[in-house]
Amino acid sequence: MTWKKRFLRVTHLLFLILLLVQLLPDRSAKDVHTGALIAFAVGLEAAALIGSFLIKKAESLSLLLDIAGFIFVLLTVWSLATAKFNILNDVLFPAPGKVLAQFAEDREKILINIRSSLGITLQGFLLAAVAAIPLGLFLGWNARLGGAATYISKFFSSIPPIVYIPYGIALLPTFRSVSVFVIFLATFWPVFAGTMSGVMHVDQRIIDSAKVLNVRKPEMLFSVILPAALPQIFLGCNQGLSVSFILLTSAEMIGARDGMGYYVKYYSDFGDYTRTITGLLVIGIVVIAVTFLFNQLQHYLLRWKK
Amino acid sequence: MSTNKIEIKHLSVDYTERGKRFNALHDVSFGVGAGEFVSVIGASGCGKSTLLSVLEGIYQAADGSVEIDGHALHGTGRERGVVFQHYSLFPWMTTRSNIAFGLKQVRHDINRRERLKIADEFLGKVGLEGFGKKYPSQLSGGMQQRAAIARALAMDTEILLMDEPFSAIDAKNRVNLQELLLSLWEGDSPAKRKTVVFVTHDIDEAILLSDKIVVLTAHPGTVNEIVPVPFARPRKRDELVKTEEYGKFRNRLLSLLYHDVGERIGGEEVII
Repeated sequence: MTWKKRFLRVTHLLFLILLLVQLLPDRSAKDVHTGALIAFAVGLEAAALIGSFLIKKAESLSLLLDIAGFIFVLLTVWSLATAKFNILNDVLFPAPGKVLAQFAEDREKILINIRSSLGITLQGFLLAAVAAIPLGLFLGWNARLGGAATYISKFFSSIPPIVYIPYGIALLPTFRSVSVFVIFLATFWPVFAGTMSGVMHVDQRIIDSAKVLNVRKPEMLFSVILPAALPQIFLGCNQGLSVSFILLTSAEMIGARDGMGYYVKYYSDFGDYTRTITGLLVIGIVVIAVTFLFNQLQHYLLRWKK
Repeated sequence: MSTNKIEIKHLSVDYTERGKRFNALHDVSFGVGAGEFVSVIGASGCGKSTLLSVLEGIYQAADGSVEIDGHALHGTGRERGVVFQHYSLFPWMTTRSNIAFGLKQVRHDINRRERLKIADEFLGKVGLEGFGKKYPSQLSGGMQQRAAIARALAMDTEILLMDEPFSAIDAKNRVNLQELLLSLWEGDSPAKRKTVVFVTHDIDEAILLSDKIVVLTAHPGTVNEIVPVPFARPRKRDELVKTEEYGKFRNRLLSLLYHDVGERIGGEEVII
């Protein structure tokens, strides 16, 4: 990459525009925490510049700069619509600086809630994967049962898992166990269906290749069929993961004592919209972070694919 | 007692497609001597690949039998190594892991490190030194087939079954691969040579490599003729193809291959 390609990027211009906009007088009567906004913007710009020095791959750098640029534009528009021109209702729509300041103030509380939410999701998700993948492998490999199991899993995966919540509450002792149970059910069926379809669609030529090598049955299942079905298994896992997050947040809004869904619901009940929006943004960021990490894992495990 | 390594007797194979039964092979009989290189050629649809599937043990014959060393063949076996046209290698394993995985199935006496050492040695033999850590998708088709050959050779089976291994390779690389296979096979002393059954539709490939060529006729697949290849070993392609005998022999095979096509067209009174 040339020097120009590396540093002459539109993102930096967007950063400057955001700063210039902050010179406009505030129209909102409420405290808008312009300082917090500027501190955040400078931090993000610094990260973008450090990235420009260190990142070698052109696509990765572009991704970072595009995301940073998007955030600068979002903050500029948000800031104009709230603090600067007060177009939106300033009770329902706090200024960006205020949300950022709130985030800084509540960071410990938020961290505890994230940990609780992630713990439940991971536990439900991992339990489902550990149960669904071997079962899917076994049933998919067994041609006769596989056909019936496909329809059965279609039946169960069409039921919105949220309907299990009342049963969970009636049968299980704690809210946490109910959440884990619901996420388990929500993840189990897509992962199970993905695994089975993966196993049933393994290229016959690959199976023949393994047969002529005289691969024994357990090795056939775990060294041949499992890796061959892995792309489809990941498809199911991705589906399960995104359903899990939506469900967990909904579940936490119904009856939890902690977690990000609870945080949002609790403060919106009090009309504290600054914290409500802070919570929503945090949920979005956590989902993106988990998805990113999961994609990295997928990318690594499927590195043999073209 | 036959002295042949592989003895195919009155083999018939049916296969079902969309509920209809077809007779893919009918009353096919021939033998393959120990250390002999035999090619099976024929037009597409003559059942040559089906025949090999039976020898591999993944397809069942409807009638007749196949014997290896005088024992009836049942399913796949450790004495047979196979190279397919596609997907001989597992795409999720590196080339050396692929070879090591094959070795693991036949040799339980050595550990993983020794298996990988043998894998690297055989990768060197097929000209893939330094490509051990690549995945099949990172290699060209020709290199993938080299690796597949390396695995079959590393497993050191007595019999090698090859199902159009070079058919999907471009012309230039195909020639290179044929010469590699020829030199590796001829490189063993005659007593230690592997018994090879090689399926192809390429006449020149069959002549260059084989001791004997089995010509199949289609619908249903039957043996038209079994032709011994009269050229001395070791063979050199460049010298061989220039000789008059080569041209004559090639023409004879061509007429055997297409004789039935002409007959059928003639039978329907079509004038070309």
